[in-house]
Amino acid sequence: MDAQHLGDLDIEELREAIQQEYDLVAREPERGFHFHTGRPLARMLDYDDAWLEDVPESTIASFAGTGNPFRLGVLGQREHVVDVGSGAGLDSLIASQMVGADGHVIGVDMTPAMLARARQGAADLPLQNVEFRDGYAEALPVPDGWADVVISNGVLNLAPDKAAALGEMHRALKPGGRLQIADILVQKPMPASAKRKIDLWTG
Amino acid sequence: MAAGFIDFAITWRAEVYADAPQESSAGDFGTLGITFFARKPLNEEEREDYFARQVCEVPASVEEA
Repeated sequence: MDAQHLGDLDIEELREAIQQEYDLVAREPERGFHFHTGRPLARMLDYDDAWLEDVPESTIASFAGTGNPFRLGVLGQREHVVDVGSGAGLDSLIASQMVGADGHVIGVDMTPAMLARARQGAADLPLQNVEFRDGYAEALPVPDGWADVVISNGVLNLAPDKAAALGEMHRALKPGGRLQIADILVQKPMPASAKRKIDLWTG
Repeated sequence: MAAGFIDFAITWRAEVYADAPQESSAGDFGTLGITFFARKPLNEEEREDYFARQVCEVPASVEEA
């Protein structure tokens, strides 16, 4: 779905609603949402205990993915990774440990509280090979052809312009680079009117 | 696939919203969590070769209609 198919949906209003929702996930993860969060979710999605061993509990608590990108393949040493919609930073911190000191991970997110949570997690470990940048999936702040792998977890469905987001992932990847994405699939037809309801995007 | 990726494959699907703390609209639309893989082709030749090999099979029920 690209932005043209969203009719009169206000993109800025949508992004603001999504930011408000994920601001709460960052600040009050114990509140309870319409999706699972935290360590129980990571367990449900088959994250290895070893991956989580050194990750700060505050990072894990605000995890809100829909799948496990690393079950599509463990990342290699020295690889460059972009995490689109990095949230609290769990996948970025796991990736940074997989790629090692000579690899590099860039997490991109649009929610300030999530960026703060992710940066704190990286500082607490501490990790030098991961950074978090403010940005949208449709305009990744990453050079052309930089990444060996693009990962993302539960974010593409929230991007108003999915074609642009996929185009950006393609631009950021090296030739031969991989997409390892977790997201959601809607099996029943969704009427156009539903696509314009912001509360359905966030809940 | 959009943007010219190749080797697209959905590799896992599961009901990830069931029993979430708050009620969700996910069930109304049969929403599943998935993982998918895709790859950026090495070059234009690989991309063209990949798409040339793709075959769209028409389901029997459509053919009969």
